[in-house]
Amino acid sequence: MSIHDHLHSLYIHIPFCTSKCIYCDFNSITIKSDIVDEYLLAIESEFQSINKEYFFKTVYIGGGTPTVLNETQLSKLLDIVSKYIDKSKLKEYTIEANPGTLNDERIFILKNSLVNRVSIGIQSFNNNYLKLLERIHTANEAKDTFFNLRENGFKNINIDLIYGYPGQTLNEWKMDLMESSRLDPEHVSAYCLSYEQGTPLTKMIDSGIFRRLEEEEELKLYEYTKDFLCNKGYLHYEISNFAKPGKKCKHNIVYWNNEEYIGIGAGAFSFVDGKRYCNIKNVSEYISTAQSKKNLICFSETLSQKKRASEILIMSLRMTSGISKIEFFKRSGLDLLGLFGKQINDLAKAGLINFDDERIKLTRKGMSVADSVMMEFV
Amino acid sequence: MNINQIRNFCIIAHIDHGKSTLADRLLEKVNAVSPRKFRDQVLDNMDLERERGITIKASAVALDYRKNGETYSLNLIDTPGHVDFSYEVSRSLGACEGVLLLVDASQGIEAQTITNVYMAIEKNLEIIPVLSKIDLKTARPKEVGEEIVSILGMDSAEIIEVSAKTGLGIDDIFDGIIAKIPPPKGDVNAPLRALIFDSVYDDYRGVIVYIRIFDGSIKVGDNIFMMKINRSFEVVELGLFKPEMTPVDTLGAGSVGYCIANIKSIHDVHIGDTVTLTKRRSTVALPGYNRPLPMVFCGLYPTDNTDFMPLRAAIERLWINDSSFSYEPETSQALGFGFRCGFLGLLHMEIVQERLERESNVGLVQTAPTVTYEILTHDGKIIHVDNPEKLPSVGTIKEFREPVVEAKIILPSEYIGAIMKLTDERRATYKSTEYLSEKRAILTYDIPLGEIIFDFYDKLKSLTRGYGTLDYEFVGYVPEDLVKLDILVAGKKVDALSCIVHRKKAEAKGRKLVQNLKKDIARHMFEIPIQAAIGGRVIARETIRQMAKNVTAKCYGGDVTRKRKLLEKQKEGKKRMKNVGNVEIPQSAFLSVLSTDV
Repeated sequence: MSIHDHLHSLYIHIPFCTSKCIYCDFNSITIKSDIVDEYLLAIESEFQSINKEYFFKTVYIGGGTPTVLNETQLSKLLDIVSKYIDKSKLKEYTIEANPGTLNDERIFILKNSLVNRVSIGIQSFNNNYLKLLERIHTANEAKDTFFNLRENGFKNINIDLIYGYPGQTLNEWKMDLMESSRLDPEHVSAYCLSYEQGTPLTKMIDSGIFRRLEEEEELKLYEYTKDFLCNKGYLHYEISNFAKPGKKCKHNIVYWNNEEYIGIGAGAFSFVDGKRYCNIKNVSEYISTAQSKKNLICFSETLSQKKRASEILIMSLRMTSGISKIEFFKRSGLDLLGLFGKQINDLAKAGLINFDDERIKLTRKGMSVADSVMMEFV
Repeated sequence: MNINQIRNFCIIAHIDHGKSTLADRLLEKVNAVSPRKFRDQVLDNMDLERERGITIKASAVALDYRKNGETYSLNLIDTPGHVDFSYEVSRSLGACEGVLLLVDASQGIEAQTITNVYMAIEKNLEIIPVLSKIDLKTARPKEVGEEIVSILGMDSAEIIEVSAKTGLGIDDIFDGIIAKIPPPKGDVNAPLRALIFDSVYDDYRGVIVYIRIFDGSIKVGDNIFMMKINRSFEVVELGLFKPEMTPVDTLGAGSVGYCIANIKSIHDVHIGDTVTLTKRRSTVALPGYNRPLPMVFCGLYPTDNTDFMPLRAAIERLWINDSSFSYEPETSQALGFGFRCGFLGLLHMEIVQERLERESNVGLVQTAPTVTYEILTHDGKIIHVDNPEKLPSVGTIKEFREPVVEAKIILPSEYIGAIMKLTDERRATYKSTEYLSEKRAILTYDIPLGEIIFDFYDKLKSLTRGYGTLDYEFVGYVPEDLVKLDILVAGKKVDALSCIVHRKKAEAKGRKLVQNLKKDIARHMFEIPIQAAIGGRVIARETIRQMAKNVTAKCYGGDVTRKRKLLEKQKEGKKRMKNVGNVEIPQSAFLSVLSTDV
């Protein structure tokens, strides 16, 4: 085993937001200062309960909105995490940030920590759509945040964008993409708006207040995104992710490669020793359980070899490079063609996947209907 | 029990006129059920009956009533009120000497009231008219009393007014039953003759038959003989319904009870059959029942093709309890192996389907209902077709005939206009209007049965704000310009979606059908044309575009499990769909013919 195999990834979940956006179904609640203090203590005690030494190559603080914490709390958080990081092994340390929460002081705190990558949730440069999503910032604030980070020396910045709003035209989306390329971030995550069950947005669609774009319209926006960003020098490396050379998100690739990771915080998932588990989702329940040093896990599953193999294939197909036959065998212990020979043959015939006897990946067409393709492999 | 102290009676009424509530009160009055065990609708045992608040199965109970130092045995048979279950009513009437005719004091006489009364008159039964729900503010006892006198030709002095809610008039009912309904006429010393009027299947005890003894008597240990089936069985238990099954040693002429005789096969019991003793046989069978003719047919298929045998067992078991539906195996290219089943009406179909699913745990796919058509061929043969797929080729058909019913619609006269429009759309022929009173009328029409089986009743209800009622009776087959409408999905005919329609309506129906199917069938990786055709000619077409985009935008560490489960669930859902060519058709699509409002 190489040194590389001993390295893990670490995810820390901060489930607080200023307010909840209408499309969001993540684990987050509206922030209250005193509960954050308790939450940080709970995180600390969860860290302490880990009875094995891990070396992390990537760290990702996500949410919620980590930067909604006040300055003292943010320092405290970074301080706690730093105790578990060996700087010499660390390759990438990302924190999610929202425009409107990232003031000069917070940027200063980040600058003086191990954080070397910031992911900004810009979503759109069109104030009408920002309002529709009930985001708390404007397009100008987003741009300011970006430039402030740059001026403070951050050389690896991602921006999150969303397209496919009800009523959005290709031209409007083009303008968003142009604005993005003017910022010239190292990484862009461009997500098509998704309609998750139970969100206010989905209810509005169901009650007919908005009309969801047709599949064909969404497809047009997606295809345009790929062409535009590739032309600007980005590599399209995952369904919704684009990076300048050398700037792919190492942490997320861990997920798509089905490698192991540790998750800390309410509702955080971990994947260790072939077992996946999830912490208690409810924030106050998480806190009280951590306080009384009880078990934080509310769900766990150990996959059969076959299910694990199927997950490995499904997740790696999200990446444009797909997976090689050899790599698949190495990770799953099973023969790709022995397991899915027929499906691969049929899907290749239908022009949805590429298989050159060495490596399997989605075609351009296959990528836009990836869920249907993946269903053949469950 | 002295035969002169027995009274056998039914309660007949239009649906919702308070039958089951009145039965509850009568039971309470004689303390047949301990207050601890009492619940509303005490005779309705099926979950389905309690959920829907209707009676589906007739049910029997023996009431011991004391009057002037004498104890009377009153056998009450509760009957369903809905038009589809007339068969159950007529069976119950055969076991009685009299009926309580219940009429809601605010609703007045309704379609099913009249049908039930005619059935009772035909059987020569004593009728005691009862006005129910007299306590309601909306009650109009005087007017409704007049309706009873003028329409049903009864004496106003005989009408008993009751409120099952307050208990008013309950004693009058008992007095009326004892005074007016004649005791059974049977001869206790004659050879046994008992009528099987119902039966249920019990996993441990086999078939339990419900009997009414007309002559002679029966005791435990007797060897009984079923006249139609021509087989003997030994009686192991006899009993009364009180309302729980309560064993007794003998049942004598006039009584109503149950009999358990080690009958293992459901085929050994025939509702309407006469039971006699093997050794001392009577040779004269009781009149029995006319088998009702199923009017509405549909295909029932197991969702999972491997469930065919369990479905067969479930159907056979249900049939012993409700032999008014028919079944025979059939195959469909689209749906595999299943059964073509016939029902007395739409509600009956719904109830049977629900009972099958509940009582057997087999998921069902139901095809659109159809009626039986009659074909006269050029060589003079008459063929009955209950499945559009069985239609002979057009060239051989001389006359294509559809079933027509005479429908009586009773409604407040202000809605006549709206109903005339509805009946016109349904190709009905107007026959007459009679007035029950100034405000209420009976409209009579001849209507093709195929036009009312879908949603006519719902439409009637909504157009008359719930006041309109309907009853119908089969008249005969009438030649019409009918055609078979085929549906092609991706160029392949889907047999289970074919239907027979009037030529004038074919195009509109075809257009609506393909539109509905377009909504029901999800996008596939390829384009799917959906066509409606008559013969080889396409009359309507829609296209389901090929899937353009189906991809989860975000999938990170915490989403993996959820994502995998979602895909597994979707794949499971696909398995439940029926495959025609390469197209997956969901079950809902097979019913889209139903929701086509043309």
